[in-house]
Amino acid sequence: MKNNMRTKITTLIALFLISLGVNAQIDRSQQPKAGPAPTINLGKPQTFELKNGLKVMVVENHKLPKVSATLILDNGPIFEGEKAGLTSIAGEMMGNGTKTISKDAFNEEIDFLGANLNIGSQSANFNTLSKFFPRILQLTADAVQNPLLTQEEFEKEQAKLIEGIKSGENSVAAIAAKAQNALVYGKNHPYGEFETETTAKNVTLADVQNFYATYFKPNNAYLVIVGDVTFKDVKAQVTKHFNNWKKGTIPVYEIPKVTDVAKTEINFIDMPNAVQSDIAVINTVDLKMSNPDYFATLLANKIFGGGGEGRLFLNLREDKGYTYGAYSRIGNDERTSATFKSAASVRNMVTDSSVVEFMKEIKTFRDTKVTDEELKNAKAAYIGSFVMALENPATVASYALNIVTKKLPENFYETYLQKINAVTVDDVQRVAQKYFSTDNARIVIVGKALDALPNLEKLPYAINYFDKESNAASKPEMSKPLPNGVTKLTVLDNFFNAIGGAAKVKALKSTLVTYEANAMGSVISTTEKRTSTKYANETSMGGNVVAKIVMTKDGVFMNKQPLPAPMAGEMSYTIGTFLEMGLLNNESSKLTGIEIVDGKDAYVISTKGEIVSSSVYFDVATGLKVKELQVITMQGQTQNQEATFSNYQEFNGIKFPGTKTGSLGPQKVEFKLIGAKVNEGVSEADFI
Amino acid sequence: MRKIIYLSSLALFLSVSLFAQKVEFEEYDLSNGLHVILHKDNSAPIISTSVMYHVGAKDEVDGRTGFAHFFEHLLFEGTKNIPKGEFFKIVSANGGANNANTTQDRTFYYETFPSNNLELGLWLESERMLHPVINQVGVDTQNEVIKEEKRARIDNAPYGKISYRTGINQHIFKNHPYKNSVIGSMEDLDAAKLQEFLDFHKKFYAPNNAVLVVAGDFETEATKKMIENYFGDIPKGEKVERINIKEAPITESIKVTEYDSNIQIPVKLFIYRTPSNKDKDSYTLDMVSSILTSGKSARLYKKLVEEKKALQVLAFNDSQEDYGTYIMGALPMGATTLDELGVEMDAEITKLQNELISEKEFQKLQNQFENNFVNSNSGVQNIANTLAANYTLKGNTNLINDEITIYRSITREDIKRVANEFLNKNSRVEMDYLKKEIE
Repeated sequence: MKNNMRTKITTLIALFLISLGVNAQIDRSQQPKAGPAPTINLGKPQTFELKNGLKVMVVENHKLPKVSATLILDNGPIFEGEKAGLTSIAGEMMGNGTKTISKDAFNEEIDFLGANLNIGSQSANFNTLSKFFPRILQLTADAVQNPLLTQEEFEKEQAKLIEGIKSGENSVAAIAAKAQNALVYGKNHPYGEFETETTAKNVTLADVQNFYATYFKPNNAYLVIVGDVTFKDVKAQVTKHFNNWKKGTIPVYEIPKVTDVAKTEINFIDMPNAVQSDIAVINTVDLKMSNPDYFATLLANKIFGGGGEGRLFLNLREDKGYTYGAYSRIGNDERTSATFKSAASVRNMVTDSSVVEFMKEIKTFRDTKVTDEELKNAKAAYIGSFVMALENPATVASYALNIVTKKLPENFYETYLQKINAVTVDDVQRVAQKYFSTDNARIVIVGKALDALPNLEKLPYAINYFDKESNAASKPEMSKPLPNGVTKLTVLDNFFNAIGGAAKVKALKSTLVTYEANAMGSVISTTEKRTSTKYANETSMGGNVVAKIVMTKDGVFMNKQPLPAPMAGEMSYTIGTFLEMGLLNNESSKLTGIEIVDGKDAYVISTKGEIVSSSVYFDVATGLKVKELQVITMQGQTQNQEATFSNYQEFNGIKFPGTKTGSLGPQKVEFKLIGAKVNEGVSEADFI
Repeated sequence: MRKIIYLSSLALFLSVSLFAQKVEFEEYDLSNGLHVILHKDNSAPIISTSVMYHVGAKDEVDGRTGFAHFFEHLLFEGTKNIPKGEFFKIVSANGGANNANTTQDRTFYYETFPSNNLELGLWLESERMLHPVINQVGVDTQNEVIKEEKRARIDNAPYGKISYRTGINQHIFKNHPYKNSVIGSMEDLDAAKLQEFLDFHKKFYAPNNAVLVVAGDFETEATKKMIENYFGDIPKGEKVERINIKEAPITESIKVTEYDSNIQIPVKLFIYRTPSNKDKDSYTLDMVSSILTSGKSARLYKKLVEEKKALQVLAFNDSQEDYGTYIMGALPMGATTLDELGVEMDAEITKLQNELISEKEFQKLQNQFENNFVNSNSGVQNIANTLAANYTLKGNTNLINDEITIYRSITREDIKRVANEFLNKNSRVEMDYLKKEIE
């Protein structure tokens, strides 16, 4: 009985445990499915309008005892021209006192109440604890309608602006932002112009007063108030404080038309301090929010470069590791062109490769349809952010504001999710072809020319150079200064030491090297023999000798035919047991600077001739030769020959490049070192 | 007399109404030591799932700096059930947003979703905690990404060495790991072996060293059950021993120069070592910082910017678990020299050390901190972050509601005392942050 009882209890416990176990049994190998979609509640702000045109929107939200407010003067962009900087100065001067409250008293009171108030050139906003809202609203109204604009304040803000302009001169990001707008829109466009020291100095207090009197009007003004207030109180207070704000005439301004470049080009600005290149591929788009293409462009951009799952990010960051982030953005504008822009900051050495990837991604995006899954995911992302944005009470107000200022249908946001869902993969491709340009884009690059330019020049785009203020400039100087004490002799001695010791190398009588490569379907083999006074090179293809060059003091012979004397004369310095022995003894071979070869600093020894010029590159760190470049100019034609050297291997105590990569027509050919000999295998018969 | 009574009862009423907007939460531990905090708010269909691990840059050893930040990246690489590169995609494809960040003291991961994806959020964080994939491929990928992050945020950015403290910490700390920056040394990361990453993970990323916060639109009982299901069987780790490294006081001012090639305008900085964030004096320093630079009527702003001697003034009070850092500085304007700025900054500190702030200035501080307090509680993600940080770093989750009372308990005398105790001329770093010329 006792036993039986015990068994029962155990069974019970076991059952209990099992049921617990069953409860905990979740299949974590399966991603959980979403529950039923939450219902969303799109409220609408309450509104009223004053006789002077000021439109007011109020969203009551009593969750926290605070209030925020925004005033927007929707007057459109203002072109400042020779006085660029006027709106900045005016914006800074506003909100520092009123005709009846001194600057100190005004700022002291705002701070005392713990509030934040900012008035800009065409806007104002504040946030405050709700208990101080009435007073902050009153102070804002006074500051907007009766600003204190004094000469003293003007001079202070002008000086600060000029200092601020200077402060950004070495910032790659600041220069890039200015350049992108100036180049894409042109400096005659309000979005393209920027303030300089000169234009900021042109501004006077009278300009500021005039600007205020002209543009700070309630005609196109919206005041949005969100938070712990009641509509009734707001209406009473706003009416009381803003009713006397006088309407005026806002000047009509025709914004210049913007055109893209006829053919995609690179716009390069050199900043020697850059450790990353700022790259932006930009074309303009004519797109308003009310355009039926709007939703498809949102999704296209999302898939292309709208975030961490975008193709740009997956390619340039996740796959290539070129950058911390690569994104695209498509804008919309009611009054003028907006832009489609793909951008990233990438490390200097991959500037060209990044441009290639950007252009490739844009092309692919236009040429092929996105997948159903990509589109589905992009839609989900938009739907999610739409739902989550509703947490912020200001969202409802900004939607209402968009409907009025961007002339959207009343139900724009009620049907928002529906319109997102209706977009198809065909729509995405159609808008990509319409708005994402491969042929008429500007590739604006701000970076270090020394590192980035040599490879950018190999891309199929014209490069135009600009200075930091986006004025046309000439190509930047491309070599680095040499450190003190470095001369041709030290560079060559370093080389000799690196390959086996200067004394040993200089004492050699002869050298013989053989390289082989597979190209054009056969084995190409080349053997070079050198003594201190003679040189021979034999190239064979599939076992047959195709070319033999011999150089002696008597001349240069190609397949036993002498080359013209002027040309031969310019080649003879290369004679020596090593080319470098020739450089050492030739007075017209000079150390010219430091350039970058495959991302590393290299000393350059150049020999300039009428017909034959050459540059030989030695790695600064290892001393080894890494590249040779020969340029032959004859009868107006120029031919470049380039070879790079790597993978040095030792033979008889002397190191020779194990790999030599050269070009054979359009093809790159990699030669492997087969054998090398010193002081043997070379006889006089080789130089006939 | 009557009027005064009326006013004080009004003040009482206001403070009562303030406490009425208390952040409600409940907290408990799972059997594996994972601390759970729930904050329910059904007013909008949004949910946040966050995990804070009590590991930051200060838990790294010399020669292997940057590990905590490295893991911030690495733990997005995938898990046993989430293929490489899918983490962000899953979040986005379900309408969510996510990110992570690392400080000297802790690492924070979070997702926000429309509330019907609560279970997905819990699954993602539990996958990350239970069995993340840490392999050489992931290490290599993230190593490159972090180098680009450093270039973008620090090496190519004006004042990057100040913003990310890579030009600050080594001067103010000599022994404590706070001497290193959060991003760490690229050489250390290059040299680190896979096994070292695995060891670091095993030591610090277990449930007993973490807190899970779920905030937003959920149903409590069902949520608790889901949390148990997803996190309950994650094995407990070894108890984490906190470091205990003391710094000797600085007795003579340390003068240093740092260079930045991305700037035109230099900065004069005074840097002070301050007490732990658990110390009331750390809160007092927040107020000192506010007195000097918060708003156009702030003392240093008025003296330097309004008088056209400085383009900008700045002050940061980095409150941290073991020690804090207080940084104040100014960017000169026109012909003003860095030394002159130093003299002006000193004059303001001396004033704080010798004179009590006025009653009016004191009331201003109360209003400013009340406004900050109200704003810091807006949005479920902000609330989740504050709850997690208060629990992890200060051991008191309820500070989300109580912190304002700490600020309110600070007196004018406290401010004067703290200025004397911590803003001492002889125990600081004086830095000239200069433009580096490019040859």
